[in-house]
Amino acid sequence: MIEVHEVRKQFGAVQALGGVSFTARDGQITALLGPNGAGKTTLLRTLVGLLRRDHGTIAIDGVDPARDPLAVRRNIGFLTDQFGLYERLSTREYLAYFGELNGMDGAALHKRIDEVSDLLAMDDLLERRSKGFSQGQRIKVALARTLLHSPRHLLLDEPSRGLDVMSTRALRHALSALRRRGCCVIMATHVMQEVTHLCDDVIVIAKGHTVAQGSPQDLCRRTGIANLEDAFVSLVGTEEGIAA
Amino acid sequence: MKSKFMIVFLKELRETLREKRTLGLIALFTLMYPVMLGYLMNQLIERSTRPEREGIELAVIGAAKAPTLMAQLKQKNITVREVGAMDEQAIGELLRARKVVAVLRLSDQFIDNYRAMRPARIELWFDSAADKGPQQRDVEEVLEAYGANVASARLLAHGVSPATLAPIQLQRYDTGTNASRSAGLIGSILGMLFFPAFVCGMSAAVDSTAGERERRSMEVLMSQPVRAWELVVGKWLTAGTLAAAGVTLELALAHAILSWLPLEEIGLSWSVTGGELALVCLASVPLSLFAAALQIALAMNARSFKEAQSLLSFVVVVPLVPGVAVSMLELKTATWMYMVPMLSNQTLLQELAKGSEIGVVPFLLTFASAALPALAAVLFASWRMKSERYVLAV
Repeated sequence: MIEVHEVRKQFGAVQALGGVSFTARDGQITALLGPNGAGKTTLLRTLVGLLRRDHGTIAIDGVDPARDPLAVRRNIGFLTDQFGLYERLSTREYLAYFGELNGMDGAALHKRIDEVSDLLAMDDLLERRSKGFSQGQRIKVALARTLLHSPRHLLLDEPSRGLDVMSTRALRHALSALRRRGCCVIMATHVMQEVTHLCDDVIVIAKGHTVAQGSPQDLCRRTGIANLEDAFVSLVGTEEGIAA
Repeated sequence: MKSKFMIVFLKELRETLREKRTLGLIALFTLMYPVMLGYLMNQLIERSTRPEREGIELAVIGAAKAPTLMAQLKQKNITVREVGAMDEQAIGELLRARKVVAVLRLSDQFIDNYRAMRPARIELWFDSAADKGPQQRDVEEVLEAYGANVASARLLAHGVSPATLAPIQLQRYDTGTNASRSAGLIGSILGMLFFPAFVCGMSAAVDSTAGERERRSMEVLMSQPVRAWELVVGKWLTAGTLAAAGVTLELALAHAILSWLPLEEIGLSWSVTGGELALVCLASVPLSLFAAALQIALAMNARSFKEAQSLLSFVVVVPLVPGVAVSMLELKTATWMYMVPMLSNQTLLQELAKGSEIGVVPFLLTFASAALPALAAVLFASWRMKSERYVLAV
């Protein structure tokens, strides 16, 4: 469970977050919607303790990332907007590296690598070096890294970009499986169809503020608009950022 | 379980060792210097041990016309080879073969002119590109002495003292020996042996910081349950290990070559034992670690691999400055020199090469003078990586 209350963050004169509050529950997939530049990346970085907030409270299973970032990170799988692969390592070596950094080792680690690889249907990638991987293959490897240490919380920044139909389905199955296991998933995305199909809860942020939180149906009802995309535009109050 | 910085270290090391081209360049650089040094020293030794007038060979056309001159040349250890008449082209070819230092040609009217006391012409043909200046000068000296002798005899016959022709007497003394010239060089030559500390770890330092940032994997790494200092230390040890390996290899190779050369011939000595060399290598490990820490601390702030490399190539030159300055100013070895990284290593090796008894203190000072700034640089880099400004820039 991730609880965020009135979080603000300022860089010089720029107010990146001006008051963000929401609750992401266990066993739910929560969509994080917002136009480009709304503060999603800053918010995610604050959640893993890379940035310190100026104001407000954050509790991830009761732990404050500003107090104990390592405990929080052990329990979070973070997929950034960059994949961060190493071209000179094979996928297995790459996963083993991050597994070890998360305190796993030996046979258990390699068993888990095989499990995650099964889940994402990426057996063919395991022994190859990441040089020359396609966008879809790269994101699979990065996602495998995110899931490897079986974190209770997942922060995913646009996990489905660049994936083909089969991989998107595989991702959707994987996320559903995680939800059944009681994980708390926050997923920043621009794909409304994904939100409607997959997400139980939606947080809309714009210009560093939470504009609304509720299920997709809730948001449509509240704005009186049947289509989620139009509802989102009406909530954000501008057309910009929708192109993506 | 392995500690976190060991995990980072092993991964970075594995990645670096897979970069075969960079590794090859580093190896080439490390091996090239001692080999070049050995070759140059060997040349220096050969040149200084070569006997003064060994093998001055002179071709003479028309030798029979001046038997006294030929005798005087032979007296000065110049081998005269009599050859038949030759044209310009044939002489050129003979000189290009580099068997003879020069060709003397006595003109056909030599005897007539000599008898009539008109200047009798002798041609000296030489190849200025052949680098035989000293030998050629020897030949000319004999010719001048011969001319002076004849002139003196003629003056005497007219009742004039030959001394009137020599108002001054010039005597040359050359005090420069090969030994004193090379003694000034040896300091900076030995200093260069430690240069791999700054070169061998560089690509690992740059690649694991600026390179990782450029490829955008740094943010992922920093959001793992790892402390900033564990990341920095892992990367630092990778670069430091490569640098230390480079220095050790270079010193071992230089030791083998310098022990084998007869350095006494040019007034140098290499009386370093294997045990002492091992101690020097050990005392130089912090220098490698210092170089690696400095490079990490600087390279992590660069946005790209290229930017970091151009920044570091400036920094690489700085450690050479004290060593070169000291050998140029010809300062006497003093204790403070053991407190300047790089200069301390150079001084240590120089003193050992001379065979001086220096005790333990210089070793300890050399070790500490690099170890302390290395730790400071690592602390700085860790602090920097934790800072919010750095997180925002990755």
